[in-house]
Amino acid sequence: MRRRLCHLGRELWSAKYIYVFLLPGLIYYGIFRYGPMYGLLMAFQDYNARFGVMGSPWVGLKHFQRMFITPNSISALVNTFVISFSRLLIEFPAPILLALLLNEMRGRRMKRIYQTLFTFPHFLSWVIVSSILKTMLGNNGVVNALIAFFGGERVNFLATPSLFRGILYTTSIWKEAGWSAILYIAAIAGVYPEYYEAAIVDGASRLQRIWHVTLPGIRPTIAVLFILSVGNVMNGGFDQIFNMRNGAVGRVADILDTYVYDITFKATPNYSFSTAVGMFKSVVNLAMLLGANGVVKRLSGEGLLQ
Amino acid sequence: MQKQHGKPLETMDVVAFVSMTLFALAIFFPFYNAVLTSLMSAKEYTQHPVTLFPREIVLDSYRFLLGKDLVGKAYLSSIFITVSGSAFGLTVSVLMAYGFSRARFPGKKFLFRLILFTMFFDVGLIPTYILLKNLKLIDNRLAIILLCGVSTFNIILLKSSFEQTPAALEEAAKIDGANDIRVFWSILLPLQMPILATITLFLAVGYWNEWFWSMLVLNSRHKQTLQLLLRSLITEASAETEMMSAAVSDNVFSQGVKMAAVIVTMLPIMLVYPFVQKYFVKGLLVGAIKM
Repeated sequence: MRRRLCHLGRELWSAKYIYVFLLPGLIYYGIFRYGPMYGLLMAFQDYNARFGVMGSPWVGLKHFQRMFITPNSISALVNTFVISFSRLLIEFPAPILLALLLNEMRGRRMKRIYQTLFTFPHFLSWVIVSSILKTMLGNNGVVNALIAFFGGERVNFLATPSLFRGILYTTSIWKEAGWSAILYIAAIAGVYPEYYEAAIVDGASRLQRIWHVTLPGIRPTIAVLFILSVGNVMNGGFDQIFNMRNGAVGRVADILDTYVYDITFKATPNYSFSTAVGMFKSVVNLAMLLGANGVVKRLSGEGLLQ
Repeated sequence: MQKQHGKPLETMDVVAFVSMTLFALAIFFPFYNAVLTSLMSAKEYTQHPVTLFPREIVLDSYRFLLGKDLVGKAYLSSIFITVSGSAFGLTVSVLMAYGFSRARFPGKKFLFRLILFTMFFDVGLIPTYILLKNLKLIDNRLAIILLCGVSTFNIILLKSSFEQTPAALEEAAKIDGANDIRVFWSILLPLQMPILATITLFLAVGYWNEWFWSMLVLNSRHKQTLQLLLRSLITEASAETEMMSAAVSDNVFSQGVKMAAVIVTMLPIMLVYPFVQKYFVKGLLVGAIKM
């Protein structure tokens, strides 16, 4: 035992410089990433700032139960699920399609220019993108001007509940598909040319080659990105919705994240309840990530963190 | 283009070219429209909102916007946060990544798992906000700089770059009597320049675009960043908006000023993006492989 301790001591001493390098980062993670985890205890208390986390009374799962009987939080939960699953259905395939089409395009220069253009919106904040969008879709904006020019009725796009979610998905594809496509483009470039040659010899058409060679070739990439998306289902896209929503569409737009924001920073805050909602969200996300990882691994052998 | 490779044009070529060109136009048009709106006169905007070339270029929207004291202050605030935040984030991330890239030391696996866990478990808004409150960082730019500087993703990128450096270089230096700190500073760090550039760019863009925590934390108006200013111009019935609607004249109109604010806010990104795009792509690809 003593000898082992001695050995560990020697190892620690010889690694002393390594710990010097790690120290700032470890302090950082300790304070800013693990410090708030201590605050998660509030979810199980009736938190009172006067007594702090140490002195506030414990209430068990009261706030989590309250979440499932409060109409607004139920509706936020349902909206989050509906929006997230629609995103998986509509937005997830978009960059795959984009990468396949871009790959089929002739002309290297043209491809590069297009790709540079497609990735650009990713580097702008939703504050900027929603500002442009609101002006374009506004009553005097170019879209309504066109509608009016062709004799149509002007539409208040962002204040129409039946259109709002469609606008969310479309603009999200507009902003992010080009960036996400990069991973697929790289994966397509990595498919062995021999496979294509063999397919051509067998008389496969281009569509058949895409279906039978390219798509199976990028399946691992699709699997990993799908797992990561599933691990995000409880998020629903806060930045985008927060910057695009307005009072008229709250019913279809409010997700858990916007709900937490509203009850904390617009009304009298109940920190315990807000923390409980946030924590529920994170735990479900983590569970979904691990679950999706397990399922995909079993089905296809691909997975995250192998 | 059609004659390239001498192959005949197939249906698929046409489908790909046409659909990609349409998508390119869809990406491009909103920016073009924003620039156009910011350069139009109020009169033209109401009379001919659908045009491809303005009849006359009017700079009044920019003159009005840049004449405001707030805009200059917001620009400085954004620059300050971006520069100091990137420097802070890069320093901490590089040091930590180097530490984790060392072959073995007691506790390596455990400590790395700790930082990896934060990537998949989001601690949430309220606990973080209360932490900032307890640290007395409310209304302090330091809160933004500290909170957004270090990410596990960046550390993984840097770590893998250190790991790929040939061990022979390091061993040679060690035989010459250099310790870990020397080896790091004069041998390993200079070799990581490409990935350092990538991380710096990721950090800078992140800080420049940061608006959420700034909105919660920076309450004083003179600490506002450009993103916040733009947000309050667009979404809130704030003092700025009222001030603006009061100022509407022949050439100054709200949409024009808003789009001028958009252009002003995205200008730095627009200017450097074409030259640094390859670094972003590289960072994403390296990161994806290392996941």
